Amino acid sequence: MKQRRLIVRLGLVVAAVSVVAGPAAAQDPRLTGRLDAGTRAAVEAALDSARAQGLPADPLVTKALEGASKGATGARIVSAVRRLAGELASARTMLGYASTTEELVAGAAALRAGAGPSALQRVRAVRPGAPVAVHLAVLADLLADGVPPDTAAAAVIALARATVRDADLVAFRQSVDRDIALGASPGSAATVRVNSTARADAFTNTTPNAPPRRRP
Amino acid sequence: MRHDSEDLVARAAAELRQPTGLSAGFDARVMAAVRQARRPSRWVLAWEWVREPRLVALSPLGGLAMAASVAALVTLGVWAAVPRGVTPGVASSSAELGEVVQFVLHAPAARAVAIAGDFNGWDAERTPLVAAGSGVWSVALRLAPGRYTYTFVVDGTRFVADPAAPRAVGDDFGTPSSVVTVGRGTMDQGRAS
Repeated sequence: MKQRRLIVRLGLVVAAVSVVAGPAAAQDPRLTGRLDAGTRAAVEAALDSARAQGLPADPLVTKALEGASKGATGARIVSAVRRLAGELASARTMLGYASTTEELVAGAAALRAGAGPSALQRVRAVRPGAPVAVHLAVLADLLADGVPPDTAAAAVIALARATVRDADLVAFRQSVDRDIALGASPGSAATVRVNSTARADAFTNTTPNAPPRRRP
Repeated sequence: MRHDSEDLVARAAAELRQPTGLSAGFDARVMAAVRQARRPSRWVLAWEWVREPRLVALSPLGGLAMAASVAALVTLGVWAAVPRGVTPGVASSSAELGEVVQFVLHAPAARAVAIAGDFNGWDAERTPLVAAGSGVWSVALRLAPGRYTYTFVVDGTRFVADPAAPRAVGDDFGTPSSVVTVGRGTMDQGRAS
């Protein structure tokens, strides 16, 4: 009798947890009031599909909110969310299943900007087990600036190999921006700046975010 | 009278003690019927178990524990739903918590400027910029490490990309956006335009 009561109590607790946690996992409250019912349902379906594949849902929610904020139609919002889900999946294929959300977001941006899939794989291969989100973000920005894909990838891989700090990666990208604004061609600006950045970092390499180097 | 009833009981008992004559195939028929009867599936049994009414005994302490569990789950759900990564106007910076990024826009004709982006749920009303004089608007936000897309919203209707930051490639919604990247120990700061 006691055992039966215990089972009934446990059943009640499980039911209560399912009632509360079930909808919380299935529906994102940030979408409430921002999307109409039809768009929200379609976006929620895309989120469920992404979750089922083990992809992060948060960037997709953010994309839907961006569309809502910009007054886009429901169809356009759903299309953008699905497109981003596909890009995140592609980025994960190239970067590995252990990649962080930040890495997948930056990788997806780099792919959209024109990076080849092998560029993502090479960046990961140079820094196995170390974060590469900023490297990939800089790669995406260089491509957006008009740096040719091969030059941009080579620059970022060279900086990754030199274990340049995140701050210096961003400074490198800003320098390339400035040079382009002053009239340099995007390709030559990246090539010139990558050499100076790698050299400067080698002198002042305190590398708090660099992976530990192996002793010979 | 008593004698009659005793006699009746004795006769009934004697009748009951008589061996029952069963036909030769009785056992076989019973076993065949048993074999034919299908055992209810696990789901049917489970459904019957769920449908069967039960008296549930719950101590006040057990009830309180259950209520506390439900409240904790609701709180967790709300906490998980709140967008994080931005604290307007924080002056300090830390490598672990991200960096303080200054967003600046030169918009002399604007009556109000706000910023909407990945870091604030693209809510144009949530993060207004402050007029710093001479048509310059600015706001400082602490951002966790990551890559963020954002845009300025001028007078609540006009979307303006940050001229001092890289453009987001392939905007999905036909309006310009910019990108800011924050790493560990990074300060990717917007500039006055």
